[in-house]
Amino acid sequence: MQSCWFGDVEAGQCTPFTGDAAACARRVREIHISMDPFVPLDWQQAVSCGVCRDRAEYLALLQKVCIAGSEQAVREQYAAKDVELLQMVRTLDEIDTVTNVLSERVADWYQIRHPSFSRKYRRTPAHVLVKSISERNRERGGGALGKVATEITCLADARTALAKEVSARACEVMPNTSALIGGLVAARLLSHAGGLKKLSRLPASAIQVLGARTALFAHIRTHAPAPKHGIIFQHRRVHNAPREVRGKVARVLAGKLAIAARLDYYRGCAVPVFLDDAQARIDRAGTTDGEGKEQ
Amino acid sequence: MIRVGDVLVSKGEGGVYGERELDGYRVWDPYRSKLAALYLVGTGIELPPDMKVLYLGAANGTTVSHVADYVDVVYAVEFAPRPMQDLLEVARRRKNVMPILADASCPEQYAPLVETVGLLYQDVAQPDQAAIALKNCVFLKKGGYLILMLKTRSVDIRKEPAEVFRDTLDILMSAGLTVIKSTWLAPYHQDHAAIVCTK
Repeated sequence: MQSCWFGDVEAGQCTPFTGDAAACARRVREIHISMDPFVPLDWQQAVSCGVCRDRAEYLALLQKVCIAGSEQAVREQYAAKDVELLQMVRTLDEIDTVTNVLSERVADWYQIRHPSFSRKYRRTPAHVLVKSISERNRERGGGALGKVATEITCLADARTALAKEVSARACEVMPNTSALIGGLVAARLLSHAGGLKKLSRLPASAIQVLGARTALFAHIRTHAPAPKHGIIFQHRRVHNAPREVRGKVARVLAGKLAIAARLDYYRGCAVPVFLDDAQARIDRAGTTDGEGKEQ
Repeated sequence: MIRVGDVLVSKGEGGVYGERELDGYRVWDPYRSKLAALYLVGTGIELPPDMKVLYLGAANGTTVSHVADYVDVVYAVEFAPRPMQDLLEVARRRKNVMPILADASCPEQYAPLVETVGLLYQDVAQPDQAAIALKNCVFLKKGGYLILMLKTRSVDIRKEPAEVFRDTLDILMSAGLTVIKSTWLAPYHQDHAAIVCTK
């Protein structure tokens, strides 16, 4: 028996499929065809089957099925919980880049306007300066410089709101990973891996250096020292750890993250037993005396 | 193929991707479409109005829309959902484009939809491009054409493009295909080659 989108053909007998385009598209996905041997369908069978009268009608019907099927498939892929989070965290990181670049530029511009001004000894990072420029702009009214400064502060506010949302969404999508490393960093791991499925399939060693690509390839090519940590450095337990155990903390943390990502992908809910155990193990790795050994 | 002067064009509803129009025809830009580049650097094959095409790696439907202007039907297979959104929009406006969200290396996914075709066009950025093309040759009729756009840098970045080109030709010929024409697509596309075969 050969099945195709418009029906089943068996020993010259054809049973047309009745149903709308969406139902037909769903059926197409369930048809399993062996490719060896394989004979492609013949559109004229659809005519003898009574599905359509001519070529134009055949194509019109088929197109409805194809469009319905592809629309459905796109919708399903976008419905995965991690897809939107991926865009959110990438937007967040790009806003950071943009505001930093623009703030430095505005600060430079401001210094040209005020030849006697210097940022030395003032403890004014660029974003603070930008804020004061934008406030002065509001009071007195100013030119483009003030407007740009105002836009940057607006963007910074949007960033704060977005960061909160990313964090909350990450806790929902990847509860175990977020519990270990925090929502924001967890979301960044997700973004670098390219999705929860991909993250859950990475080995711990890859998670450990995720985001340290340049250092990793420098290590492979020129035998420079291997990177000890990538994005996970952003977590306080790694960057606050004493230098001599930092690599170890990163390794242990990455090991637990690999398990957490798998739990997130396959179970999708927080597992307290695992989390307590993992937290204790990571904390132990951070102490410099010999207690960090695996028991 | 229709040309206005030296410019390759196709006849159909315009405005798909902001393409220029010339005497009521849509200009087919060789810098954006590898198939157009093939027609301009060498011999592409003619696209008669009754031809059926299986197009692997349809992407945003730019080239697809031009091919559809010439032929009877285009089965456009694309794997990624984002470009598929654009491809769907093209399909809604063209009666003969069949968008299929599927993996070109698994032809069984779309076997219930596709009929026997006269042209198999493949433009996928995969390391096993030749193997994917061969798997899809079951849809190709005897004497039909295979046009394979070889992205040598996607096959193996460490190998010389010329070496990848030779290896791919070997794979295709040992599978029983006859290579009619193979050419580089310079100056329009760097390190891209086109291979035209018949079954």
